[in-house]
Amino acid sequence: MRPVFLTATGSHLPGPPVPSDAIEDHIGRLSPEASRRGRYMLRKNGIRTRHYAMDAQGRTEWTVARLGAAAAGDLFRRAEIGTERVSFLATATTQNDMMVPGLASGVHAALGLPPLEIASFQSVCASAMMALKAAWLQVGSGGHEAGLAVGAEFSSRYFRPGFYEGTDAVAADGTLAPDAEFLRWTLSDGAGAALLESRPAARGPSLRVEWISLRSYADRFPPCMTAGAAGGAPWSHFPSAGEAARAGAFMLRQDLPTLHAMLPVWIAELMRLIDEGLVAADEVDWFLCHYSAHSLREEMVRLATRAGCMIPEERWFTNLYEKGNVGAASLYLLLDDLMRSGRLEPGQTVLAAVPESGQCLIGFARFTVVEARHD
Amino acid sequence: MTDPRTEALEAAHRGLARTWIDFESGLATVPLIGRLLGGRLRLEDYRRLLLNLRQQVVEGSRWIARAASSLDAAHAELRSLFLRHAVAEHRDYLLLEQNYVAAGGDPALTATTPKNVGSEALSAWMFHAAGQPNPTGLLGAMFVIEGLGERLAAPWAEAAQRQLGLPDEAFTFLRYHGANDGDHLDMFDRALALAVATREAAEDVVRHARVTARLYRLQLEEIDHG
Repeated sequence: MRPVFLTATGSHLPGPPVPSDAIEDHIGRLSPEASRRGRYMLRKNGIRTRHYAMDAQGRTEWTVARLGAAAAGDLFRRAEIGTERVSFLATATTQNDMMVPGLASGVHAALGLPPLEIASFQSVCASAMMALKAAWLQVGSGGHEAGLAVGAEFSSRYFRPGFYEGTDAVAADGTLAPDAEFLRWTLSDGAGAALLESRPAARGPSLRVEWISLRSYADRFPPCMTAGAAGGAPWSHFPSAGEAARAGAFMLRQDLPTLHAMLPVWIAELMRLIDEGLVAADEVDWFLCHYSAHSLREEMVRLATRAGCMIPEERWFTNLYEKGNVGAASLYLLLDDLMRSGRLEPGQTVLAAVPESGQCLIGFARFTVVEARHD
Repeated sequence: MTDPRTEALEAAHRGLARTWIDFESGLATVPLIGRLLGGRLRLEDYRRLLLNLRQQVVEGSRWIARAASSLDAAHAELRSLFLRHAVAEHRDYLLLEQNYVAAGGDPALTATTPKNVGSEALSAWMFHAAGQPNPTGLLGAMFVIEGLGERLAAPWAEAAQRQLGLPDEAFTFLRYHGANDGDHLDMFDRALALAVATREAAEDVVRHARVTARLYRLQLEEIDHG
């Protein structure tokens, strides 16, 4: 493997930042009681503003593929190479515009790139790490000189009242079952992108990829963040698509007790990396940890402190509170803000962590900041 | 820079935490525990759980006492702790027997049922380890077994009672452990700090924890093979 460098990043967050009191102008109103519960969720997750790709009337110019392409377009406005030099594209998302084909085809088309190699990763937040790892290995192996990794989400479209009304998940007072409620107030839209090259940038800092590690614990956890099933049955096993919809099979759901049971497993994975000498808590200068809500961060901090693997809180880098939880785009949005922060110094260590509650997995990536290469 | 003794102790805490988390999160794949967590427990499952645990609990205070007798004067503090622990727990199996009868089990079976394959392995390992000179690594084994009481016994009792509707008298063993093992774990932290001065000592403690966790799991798996 030859060294690989993250040389440029980009992002696209559609529309203006939406404050908490205007959320329902975009995702709609279910009932006064549902709105009251939403305000409670917002206090727990701590998110102050987020972005939505759909306006108050439910109109949109966007698809998840176009959001991904817009983030890549933003990247190429800053990258030192043009789109024609990219020969590998990996994408990450939770739910593509279509079930078939994959998102990478859609982003490829929307970007207008010439024929190239693609890989579509579909999971939840950690699909971002899968796409980044694919691009790292593709460039590192010498198969490509430049690879693009894109993460994009457009989840707000599933949160509108029409996606719940008439299903078994809505109670008489217009509220949702808790497993459907949580994500409605937590997820929002956007996309991010990262360019990986076989050489560092000539201007500005680059991040040399040291390693990327992903590990699934689906052997011991049931599905936790789900869409496409109801009562444990895949939507396609219902007699008709209409019956699956009425049973609530198409809703995004989050099983919160199971999510909390995953936290120790994620922390233990960090302990494994420490024990194997891949990272030491006190040598991390920037810790980019994707977490879905402020309350979960507090819980993770408590656990990590007890286990002696706490990265000091002043080294945590987050944009959750302003940009929201954008699922598979979040890793790229964090990297983009860090790269543009003007605070990176050569030699610094960056550690990124992306836990995923889908069926329990976690990805970590370690980078070293390198200075501009002057030819 | 952290001193080597602190580093060793941190490594021991980390290794124990990883062992525990891997053990606990993996228990859902043990058939009987899967049924308990999934709301599909049958009365005979709970009876078999009690009967199988009894055989190991009887041995528990015996191996701790043997371990105490293998600790020399340089480990007097640890020896006191082991002895107190053995005294505190050496009649716990009686609670289990009462629970078994309250759950409708046949009292004649409690003393005559042999250990299951996993309990045999667990017991043999414990007595072997306890017979070594200064077996401080056994703190790792205690960590796992105490952890079961501290972290799992009470939720298991809740889940089983909800599913089976048995009276409180059928759950006193699990509830007693859920309520009491918190103190044991504080004591454990102090004991670990006494015992782990080097990396080698840390690795020894963690190795004992891993073997014990694996064999305890085997014991639970074997309940369905009885």
